Amino acid sequence: MNDDPEGKKILVIQTHGIETPRRTYSPLFYAMAATAMEIDALVWFTMDGTSQLKKGAAEQVQLDPTSDVTLKTMIEQALEAEVELAVCQQSMALFDMTTDDLIDGVKILGATSIIDLSLQADHVMYF
Amino acid sequence: MDDTPEVRGCVLPLHLHYSVTDHTWLLIQEDGIATIGMTDVAQNLAGPLLHAKPKKVGAKRSKGKPVATVESSKWVGPVKSPISGEVVEVNAELAKDATIINKSPYKAGWIVRMKPSNLDAEMDGLLTGQAAVDAYKERIEREDLKPCTHVEGFEI
Repeated sequence: MNDDPEGKKILVIQTHGIETPRRTYSPLFYAMAATAMEIDALVWFTMDGTSQLKKGAAEQVQLDPTSDVTLKTMIEQALEAEVELAVCQQSMALFDMTTDDLIDGVKILGATSIIDLSLQADHVMYF
Repeated sequence: MDDTPEVRGCVLPLHLHYSVTDHTWLLIQEDGIATIGMTDVAQNLAGPLLHAKPKKVGAKRSKGKPVATVESSKWVGPVKSPISGEVVEVNAELAKDATIINKSPYKAGWIVRMKPSNLDAEMDGLLTGQAAVDAYKERIEREDLKPCTHVEGFEI
């Protein structure tokens, strides 16, 4: 185990969207754990994952019906924890999404950027 | 005067210094070492803790940098240092049972002890006594934070 992860970079790739709620919370949770450990974390939403970032979508996703926590809560907590969120520009087209459809705080990046980020990261997690 | 006032059920002992922003407390011992922990408000927001991992002894921290990470089933995040300095002791009991923080946030649930490096300047940014209670009350009301609930055996 690495005793000193401070300053390292993790890239989390999220390919699952709002149609599979149980696959939405954990990648954000791991990214928040990383930033708490002073590791730079970026979550890259691509393919179906893009749907999580559409305005009005995340608040409809709730894993525990007895809790008031929704996917929107998780995304807001992640941004507050300085997790970077980025979306695949090409995948946005699949969902007929424009910049105006995206929630605030999300960067739009293209395929070459994600390759660069993958090469720069110390570790990549896929979901 | 009550020396352990409560705001929405959250206990805030008057003798401690607080970073209301980061939900931490600090107590300077006679030998100059600072004991640091999470407030009752913080443990309540996090919920029952599963893990608490302090930085290692010897770690040098600037004010605002994490001295530990804590996680519950619903939240994970840093415990930010209210001062700059070097970690000289960590609470080893937390590795066995992180819920000590829930049960005793101001005593047995302390997280690290630090040798301060810039205490005089940085204490100005911390609040104590009624000023701390008032500032915390303002934050709790502004953010509509949920009332504190305490587990059996909770101690002040």
